Amino acid sequence: MDKQLELLQGTLDLLILKAVSLSPLHGYGILLRIQQISKERLEIQQGSLYPALYRLEHQGWITSEWGESENKRRARYYRLTAAGKRRLQSETDRWNEMTAVIAGILQTTPEEL
Amino acid sequence: MTMWARLRSWTAAMLGRSRMERDMDEEMRFHIESYAAELMQRGVPQQEALRQARLEFGGMETAKEECRDAVGVSFLETLFQDMRHGIRTMQRTPVFTVIAATVLALGIGANTAIFSVVDAVLLRPLDYKDSGRLVTVLMNGDAPVAPANYIDWRDQNRSFEAMGAADYWSPNLTGLDSPEHLVGLKVTQNLFPMLGINPLIGRLFVPGEDKDGADREVILNYRLWQRRFSGDRNVLGKPIVLDGNAFTIVGVMPQGFQFAPFWATKAELWVPNAFGARIHSRGGNSLRIFARLKDGVSLTQARAEMAAITGRLEQQYPGTNRDVVVTPLKEKVVGEIETPLLVLLGAVGFVLLITCANVAHMLLARAAARQKEVAVRTALGARRGRIVRQFLTESLLLGCLGGVAGLALAALGTKFLVALSPANIPRVQTVGIDIRAALFLFGATFVTSIGFGLAPALQASSVALSDTLKEGGRGNSEGRGRNRLRNLLVVSEFALALMLLIGAGLMIRTFAALGAVDAGFNPHHVISMVVSVAGSKEADPARRAVFYRQLIERVRSLPGVEAAGAINHLPLAGDLWGWPFVIEGRPKPRPGEYPGSTYRMVTPGYFAAMRLPLIRGRDVAETDNVTAPGVVIINERAAHEYWPGEDPIGKRISFDSDKANPPTWLTVIGVAKDAKQYDWAGEAFPETYLAAFQNHDFLGDSGLEAASHVSYITLVARTIGDPAALAPSMKEAAWSFDRNLAISQVVTMDGVVADANAQPRFEMLLLTIFAAVALVLATVGIYGVISYSASRRTHEIGVRMSLGASRFDVLLLVVRQGVWLALAGSVTGIFGALLLSRLMAKLLYGVKPTDPATFVAVAAGLGLVAMLACYLPARRAMRIDPMAALRYE
Repeated sequence: MDKQLELLQGTLDLLILKAVSLSPLHGYGILLRIQQISKERLEIQQGSLYPALYRLEHQGWITSEWGESENKRRARYYRLTAAGKRRLQSETDRWNEMTAVIAGILQTTPEEL
Repeated sequence: MTMWARLRSWTAAMLGRSRMERDMDEEMRFHIESYAAELMQRGVPQQEALRQARLEFGGMETAKEECRDAVGVSFLETLFQDMRHGIRTMQRTPVFTVIAATVLALGIGANTAIFSVVDAVLLRPLDYKDSGRLVTVLMNGDAPVAPANYIDWRDQNRSFEAMGAADYWSPNLTGLDSPEHLVGLKVTQNLFPMLGINPLIGRLFVPGEDKDGADREVILNYRLWQRRFSGDRNVLGKPIVLDGNAFTIVGVMPQGFQFAPFWATKAELWVPNAFGARIHSRGGNSLRIFARLKDGVSLTQARAEMAAITGRLEQQYPGTNRDVVVTPLKEKVVGEIETPLLVLLGAVGFVLLITCANVAHMLLARAAARQKEVAVRTALGARRGRIVRQFLTESLLLGCLGGVAGLALAALGTKFLVALSPANIPRVQTVGIDIRAALFLFGATFVTSIGFGLAPALQASSVALSDTLKEGGRGNSEGRGRNRLRNLLVVSEFALALMLLIGAGLMIRTFAALGAVDAGFNPHHVISMVVSVAGSKEADPARRAVFYRQLIERVRSLPGVEAAGAINHLPLAGDLWGWPFVIEGRPKPRPGEYPGSTYRMVTPGYFAAMRLPLIRGRDVAETDNVTAPGVVIINERAAHEYWPGEDPIGKRISFDSDKANPPTWLTVIGVAKDAKQYDWAGEAFPETYLAAFQNHDFLGDSGLEAASHVSYITLVARTIGDPAALAPSMKEAAWSFDRNLAISQVVTMDGVVADANAQPRFEMLLLTIFAAVALVLATVGIYGVISYSASRRTHEIGVRMSLGASRFDVLLLVVRQGVWLALAGSVTGIFGALLLSRLMAKLLYGVKPTDPATFVAVAAGLGLVAMLACYLPARRAMRIDPMAALRYE
C-alpha cells in the first residue's frame, strides 16, 4: 500500500454524498465504499465520519432509516435526498472547475508567461 | 406561550434527545464491531481486534459531541454546564461578584428608570383613539383663539373631520359636605366624540347640549367621582352645584382619561360650552382648538387650508387671525420636555457605557488571573469558541444578577423620578415599570453583558498555551494588546465622565444663574391662597367688597403677619390675562396694534406683602374706591415701552374705549418694579395693576357674564416666621366668615419660585447624579489600572531602585502613566463635549454650551481626581523594598 493521502479540507462531505448516491449505505459501509473506490489511498479518520453524516442529514441532503445489515444486525442506512442530488451535482462541478484551474496554474511554465 | 405549551416542547426535546443518544451509541458501536469482525476474519484475536477498531475510530465522546453540535441539541446542555461553572466561579469570588453586580445594577437600573419615563412621556401615543390624527390650532402655536374665529374655521375647513374648542373654567363645587374649588373645562359638544373615548358610565354630551340654556350637564373624571361621590354608579342624573348653578351629572370618564393633555391638565369635570354673547367676539381670546384630520388629508394640506382661511378672515377682520398654527397634539404635549428627556436619556446611556467599561476592566483583570484555568481547558481539547462562549455565559450570569438588582433599583428610581419631576412633565403619573420597561431592561442586560464580556472573553481565550503552563502560574505573559485594551477602556471612561461632568456643570451654572435672577418681589416669608366666593353668600355683589376688605383685615391682624393684601392672579402660579388698552390723547391704534399688558387687579397692601417696590408714585389706597377716579399702576417695562422718555405718572389709559362711551379713564399713579409673571427665565412684559376695589369685574357688579371669572381673590400675606405655618389660621380666618368658601392653591411664594424652576432643577439634579456616578466609576477604573500595572511592575521597580532610582522617580514612573491616560481621556472628552453640549442649549440659561470656565474647571477637577487615584498606587510603589521586589516571584 502506498502512502495514504490526507483528506483535503471540506472534501469528506462530497465523498459521502457520492458514496450514498450509488446505493443506500450504513456508516461503516460508507467508509468501506470510499476506501474501495479510492483503492485505500485516502486516510479517513473513522470517527469524523459521523459528525459529517449528522451535519449532512441536518442540512437535508441525506436522510436515514434503520434497516438490517448483511450480518443481520440493526444498522442505520443513509441515502441521498433530491436536494442532496442537486447538491452533489453542483459540488462536483465546482470541484472539477477548481481542480482544472489549480492544475492549469500548476502546469504553467515560464515560457507561457 | 402558555406554561403548558412550554412544558410540552421541553419534554419533546428531552425525549428526542435521549433517542438520539441511543441511536448515536448504537450506530458507532455497530461501526466498531463490524470493523473488529473484519479484523478477526484476517486473523486478529478478538481482544486485539476490538482494541484496534476503537483506536482507529478515535474518540467516541468527541465524535458524539461533534454530532450533537452538528444537530444543535447540545446548546442547552452546554448552557447549563457553563452556567453551573459560572455560578461556582461567582461563589468562589463573592466580593468581585457583588461589586460587579452592584455597578451593573446601577447602570442598568438608572437606564431602565429613565427609559420608563421617556417611554411613558415621549414614546407612547396619547390615550385617545387614533391620536396621531389629532391636532391643535392655536395662535402662534400657543395662544388661545376667539370664539367667532373658531366658528369660522370650523364651518369653512374641509381638512378636518371635526373641530372642537375648550375653555378654561374653575368653578366652586358647593352643596356637598365641604366646598371645593375645581379645575374644569367648558367644551364644545363635538370634542369628546372626536377623542374617541367612551365614558365609563353614562354618556357624552349630545348635539344641542352646547346651546345656550341647555348647557347644564356635567361629565366627571374618575378621580373626582371617587373622591366626592365614592364611585357611586347612581350619580347619573343627580344634580351638583357649580358656582351656584345646578348641573346634572350625565357621565363619568374612565380611569386615566385626561383632557386637555397639555394645558388645564388637572381638569376634573367638563361642561358644555355655550358661547352666549361671546359667540360674535373676535377679541376675547380664550379657546383652545382641537381637531381631527380627515382620512387622507395630510398635516401639510391642513396647514395650507388653514393658512388660506385665516388669510381671508384677516382681510375681513384686520388684526385678527394672524399667525394661526396647526400643531400635532402629541408634539404640543411633549414638545417642551422632549429635549431635556432625550438629553437625560443620552446621559444615562453614557453611565451605562462607563459601567460596561468598568466591569470589562474587572473581568480583564480576572481573566488574567484565570489564564491557567483556560490553558488547562485548552489543553484538554476545548476550542477557542467554546472558551469564549463559557466566558460570555458567565458575563450573562453576572449581567442577569445586575439586571435583577437593577430592576429593583429601577422600580425605586421611577418612584424617585416621578416624585422629583416638575409638574409640567405630561403623563408623568403613568410612569412605572411595566412590560415595556421590563423588555428594555432585559435587552439592556443582554447587550451590556455582551458589551463588557466580549473583550475579556476574547482575550482570555487567546492564551499562549505552552507559555502559561510552563510559567507555573506566574501569569506574567501580559501582552501589549491586553494593556492597550485596558488603557483604551480607561481613556473612554474618562472621556465619557468628562462629558457628563461638563453637562452637569453647565446645568449647575444654569441653576445658579436662575437663582440669581431678580424676581422683582421678595418671595421669602410669603404665603398665598385663593379664596373663592362663588356659590357662597359672599358671591352677592352687594356683600363682596365688604367681605374682601374684612377678610384682608382679619388676615392682617393674625399673629405673625407683617403685611397682607390680595391680587386676582398670583405671579408665576396663577392665570395670566392679557388686555389691550388705549392711551388718552393718542390716535386710535389700528386693530391688533393696541398696547397690550398683563392685567392684574390689586388691593392695598399687595405691594407691601410681596415687597415689590414702587419705583415712582404711590400705591393704591383704601380711598381708591368705586366713587373715586380710576387709578392704575404700571410696571417699568410698560413705562419704557409706551411712554419712552416721558413721565407716565398722571397719564390716563382706558381698557373699555371700544365698549363704553365715555370710556373709563384710569390715571397712572405709580410705576412698579418689573416682576416675574409667568416664566422665570423670560423677559418682563408690560403689566398693569388696577385698583381692585374700584373694578366692577372684581366686585362682581359689572353685570357681565365674565364676572364669574373673578369670583375669587388671591390673598397674599408676609409673615415674620415660617410662612407655611400660617396656612391653618389663614384658612380659619376665611371660614370664620362662611363655611361655604372654597379655599385652594395654598402655597408659599418660595414654593412657587421653586416650582417655576422645577424643570432645570430636575435636569441639574439628575445630570449631577449621573456625573457623580461616572466620576466614581472612572476614578475606580483608573485606580484599578494603575495599581494593577504598578503591582505587575514590582520587579522592574525593584531593579530600578537598586540601580539608584529615587522614590520620586518611582512616583513619577507610576503617576506618569495615569496622567497620560487621564489626559488622553480629557482631550477626547472635551472634543466630545464641544460636539454634544450644543444639544442641550435649550436647557441652559445664562451660560453658553461651550462655556470655557465650565470646561476648564471640570477638566482640571477631573485631572486632579485622576492624580489622586494614581497617587495611592504610586505611594505603594515608592515603599517597595528593592531586595524584596527582586526576590518577588
